[in-house]
Amino acid sequence: MYYGMMDIGRNMFGLASHSERLRKGEFWALDDVSFDVKKGETLGIIGANGSGKTTLLKLLNGIFWPDRGRIAIKGRVGVLIEVGAGFHPLLTGRENIYINSAIFGMTKKEVDKKFDAIVEFSDIGDFLDTPVKYYSSGMLVKLGFAVAVHSEPDILLIDEVLAVGDIRFQVKCFGKMKEFKEKGKTMILVTHDMGAIQKHTERVILLHRGSLAGVDTPKNAVNKYLALMSGGVKESETGSKLTWATDNDSELEKANPSPPNDIQEDLCPRRTNYNRNEFRYGNGFARIVDFQILNTQGEEVTSVRSRDIILFRVKVKGYKFVEKPILGITVKTKDGIELYGNNTLYADIDVPSLKQGKELLVEYRIHVNLQPGDFFLSAGVAEMTSEGILPLDRRYDLVHITVLPSDKSFGLVNLETDIRVSSGEVTS
Amino acid sequence: MIETIYEPDNSLKKGYLCIFKEIFEELRQNRWLTYQLFKRDLLSMYKQSFVGILWAIILPLASVGTFIMLNSSGVFSINDTHAPYAIYAMLGMAFWQLFSTSLVAGSNSLVSAGSMILKINFSKKSLVIGSTGKSVVSFFVQIILVGILFTWYGIAPSFAVFLIPVLVIPLMLLTLGLGFIISILNGIVRDIGNIILVLLTFLMFLTPILYAKPSTGILAKVTTYNPLYYLISVPRDLVLSGIIHEWEGFAVASFLSVLVFLVCLIAFHLTETRIAERI
Repeated sequence: MYYGMMDIGRNMFGLASHSERLRKGEFWALDDVSFDVKKGETLGIIGANGSGKTTLLKLLNGIFWPDRGRIAIKGRVGVLIEVGAGFHPLLTGRENIYINSAIFGMTKKEVDKKFDAIVEFSDIGDFLDTPVKYYSSGMLVKLGFAVAVHSEPDILLIDEVLAVGDIRFQVKCFGKMKEFKEKGKTMILVTHDMGAIQKHTERVILLHRGSLAGVDTPKNAVNKYLALMSGGVKESETGSKLTWATDNDSELEKANPSPPNDIQEDLCPRRTNYNRNEFRYGNGFARIVDFQILNTQGEEVTSVRSRDIILFRVKVKGYKFVEKPILGITVKTKDGIELYGNNTLYADIDVPSLKQGKELLVEYRIHVNLQPGDFFLSAGVAEMTSEGILPLDRRYDLVHITVLPSDKSFGLVNLETDIRVSSGEVTS
Repeated sequence: MIETIYEPDNSLKKGYLCIFKEIFEELRQNRWLTYQLFKRDLLSMYKQSFVGILWAIILPLASVGTFIMLNSSGVFSINDTHAPYAIYAMLGMAFWQLFSTSLVAGSNSLVSAGSMILKINFSKKSLVIGSTGKSVVSFFVQIILVGILFTWYGIAPSFAVFLIPVLVIPLMLLTLGLGFIISILNGIVRDIGNIILVLLTFLMFLTPILYAKPSTGILAKVTTYNPLYYLISVPRDLVLSGIIHEWEGFAVASFLSVLVFLVCLIAFHLTETRIAERI
């Protein structure tokens, strides 16, 4: 309260607020975050809860003034944050549309022109002239959203609202977003939905505890985010800039507690399907040292046909004693969309403990029910500890496999469908 | 394309003339928003139907009725008011209520829209101005009631009755100005809203609304410097008799109101964003 009064007083009397200095009990919600966004770009912002994402959006929206630094924006800013802002329960849908639109910055002419489109988008139908207090929560969201979406700013800030509404509605919303993109509008999307990030954004900012942890392609940023979330990254002592364990083994050594004497024995890079652009992290107590892709006859294969069965064998070596290892894989499309993942923990498989210097071999028998395309296999070994799951060696996108067609079906997956046709009545 | 720049101490760097321009540009651009918020406030009263509008009448009637009762039973003696007491009191109350309910509404406008302010960037000035919707409607209802009283007593008001909307402008400016400042303070120290309520009750009794201005004593002295007195009783006198007695007082009070309005508007403009940090 005291600080509030001070700030107000200083602002009112035109005194400099010296806001760049921290007072007791204050902390920087965002520190040294700098970036730019070009017109027509879609930027994603990801980070753990409390990392400063929403604060950043509020700054871009003009709700907070920066205490240090400068924000320059060309164009009108709009948000899809608070849907139903200004709704008064006693007023009808129609009246609330006008109020909500005015709050979003539309002029009377604009609203009159777009009124019918808004009503149609919101699916309210006959309830337009009923007081809003009788609406279901879904209807409220749809109406608020319909207005927000039609406010057509030059720059649209979207904060996690995509999670609301039923499927049909979500499809409508994504359709509108696509429209925006085509019109050359700029969008900034804050979300925890990594799939949405991969699909819709071109560049992603990763925030960690108020600092910029990276400005990257969606794939890399998401990988770094996942690494951060599972605690597999060390922070350097010099402030909050993060250093990453790279896929260079010697770097892995330096950043992590040193494993014993052994020479690095990673045979993976020698395999044909090895992907040099893999993303790897973990503390190194156990490591993936080799892999193989085999067919059911035990022969090595480089390409696979749709609906084939492959054996994905991964060899793990212990560098320290690991009592309860967990071994797992994920399958992703080349855009980074996760299609499938599983591990020994979820599959209830007993894994023997791994002694230092000893090896474990795990085999995943996979039905490759995928349509033709390029896919990536990720493999990992982690440890079950009393504090949770600790990543030991995670290698994202370790293996690249190409799936060739086997039939004329289409789509993302191949659901092995048998088709039967008979004339006359169908008897079961 | 509009270019916006956010920097610490933004307004300071621009100078006062620029700020003035900014403020009036903002008010002009947000005319429709202000109207919508005003309408929303207004409609919400109407939609509560019955009791909503009646409340506008019940409250002042109750205060006036109490005073009449007290006067006739000799507890208080209300000096000569040059007109039927009921009309005198009701008219005064109507103006007073316009001031007090608008002020309270304005003070609470930012706090009650707290969640909206935190999420969308829109003109907060419109919020404060628009929150006077209910009070303005109540005012007109009370004026109509006064009109009924006039016919009941068989007296005609002066032509000034048509000038009422113009006469209340200084009062409204004072109210809005104070509303701007208090709404900001209320956002930070929530007690202020309640303090204002209590203060207003005191002020109502200390200002000659329900009684005529005393000629001697401390109260007489204080009242001479109370701008509210002039802003309320001069329009009242005008409506009742067509003559103004305290010309200069009204002029000074009006000038003061305009000043308060402008100063508070600027103060509001410089600090309105800080509210989002604390609300």
